[in-house]
Amino acid sequence: MSEPAPLDLVRDVLGIDLPPEHLAENLAAFARILEEIRKLRTLDLTDIHPSIVFDPTAPYRREPRA
Amino acid sequence: MSPALWAEPIEALAPRIRGKTLSPVELTQACLDRIGQVDDRLLSFICLAPDALEQARRAEAEIARGDWRGPLHGIPLGIKDNYLTADMLTTAGTTAPGIAFPRRDAAAVTRLRRAGAVLIGKTRTHEFAWGNVTPPVRNPWALDRVPSGSSGGSGAAVAAGLCAAAMGSDTGGSIRMPAAACGVVGLKATFGRVTREGIVPHSWSLDHAGPLTRTVGDAALMMGALAGHDPADPACRDEPVPDYTAALGAPIAGLRIGVCRNHFFEDNQEDVQRAVEVAIADLAGQGATVADFTIPNLAYGLAAIFAIELASSTAYHDVSLRAGRVRHYTPDVRQLVELGRFVTGPDYLKAEQLRAVLMEDFRRALDRVDVIVGPTTPITAWKAGEWTARIGDRDESVLAASWRFTFPYNLTGLPAISIPCGFDRQGLPIGLQIAGRPFDEETVLRVAHAYERTHEWKDRAPAL
Repeated sequence: MSEPAPLDLVRDVLGIDLPPEHLAENLAAFARILEEIRKLRTLDLTDIHPSIVFDPTAPYRREPRA
Repeated sequence: MSPALWAEPIEALAPRIRGKTLSPVELTQACLDRIGQVDDRLLSFICLAPDALEQARRAEAEIARGDWRGPLHGIPLGIKDNYLTADMLTTAGTTAPGIAFPRRDAAAVTRLRRAGAVLIGKTRTHEFAWGNVTPPVRNPWALDRVPSGSSGGSGAAVAAGLCAAAMGSDTGGSIRMPAAACGVVGLKATFGRVTREGIVPHSWSLDHAGPLTRTVGDAALMMGALAGHDPADPACRDEPVPDYTAALGAPIAGLRIGVCRNHFFEDNQEDVQRAVEVAIADLAGQGATVADFTIPNLAYGLAAIFAIELASSTAYHDVSLRAGRVRHYTPDVRQLVELGRFVTGPDYLKAEQLRAVLMEDFRRALDRVDVIVGPTTPITAWKAGEWTARIGDRDESVLAASWRFTFPYNLTGLPAISIPCGFDRQGLPIGLQIAGRPFDEETVLRVAHAYERTHEWKDRAPAL
């Protein structure tokens, strides 16, 4: 069995089903956003709890809409 | 000569309606006439309520028999087309086949109806509230320019006097940016203050609902009807609702005005920078103290909001992505919806960590000051079809520039208002943004009102 091409594997991992030229357009558009995300990746936030806080009681507090 | 009915704010109309010297039917007809006269050029409404005059007649009958419900009773309002409505089609700005929304009222719409408002029509949104242009809507101050977005229909409609106020939604600035571009007031209250139940989601932890109005007082009146707990919105908080109008008119002497000198003041069009500096000096002239500070972590904010907004939007549109329906979205929105696939899980969670850091940074700042003041946007309204704006001696992407100062308050959930603070040399409105502590909309409104009442910007109207 042959190995999948690397780009096909990336598309599979990311769940993207797009023609190659459309994927290339999106990657080019994402490059500008990636510049910003790279800055974020440089930060050491090891000791910071994300702003999302899991709350197991939430479903028990919800009431039907008034 | 008294102003035309359609030009008057709610705070002037409501006492006359209550006193039965103004008929809600006459007022609604004036707005419908105004829409008929100018909205073929603005295109701010996507549909009108077929029963608008009937709603007004009901309001008039109720008031006549002594059942005045409050200051919104009989007032014509616009509703952004991403709020579900029972009597009008909701499209969320999309024409993609296979996408339909329930015919029922969003919770905020229910609250406005209970307050007796006349819901006159649906205002256009950028498709799925994902953009800052809102095609095909035009800016009433210059018809070749955009009203910004995504609540661009609401901003244009209020500025042009097509309705007394309108609802917007704000994920990265979509209430405040069109408010600034169209020269009106836009209030994004604290995350959890106004229910989003029944609003087509864009990004669950960033979406806010709120009004665009002609005056700060009108924003306070709208909040009186909108604020309050709704268990159907998991993010809505059960906090006491104050009388927002009580803070209006109070002096601001002794209040501490914070100015975040990095991020918000580094790259503005010259006229914007000047107008905002003058506004800050005006607030100081009323006895407020001004304290400068910096929040260096804002340098990472754009990455955080991109990661959260893109990933959330892609998750919301996942079924449409897999079904191939997104190929019918407009190209810009389709691409943004698809780009969320590139945001990795660790990037998303790191964005949520950064968000916690920024929340703490702003808390520390707001320990020392009562509000934070700065520009709403670094640029004024740009020409339709242009994707860059001139800032100083270079061109910058309007997508990057337009929300630079608004998104920090979506990441932190803090209340923030945009009010007019002047015009640039091309006659385009400039917005002043005032943000405050969580659930302290009263102080935000108090400072905004103190500025508004000492200037005449709200009395200017676009020539249409």
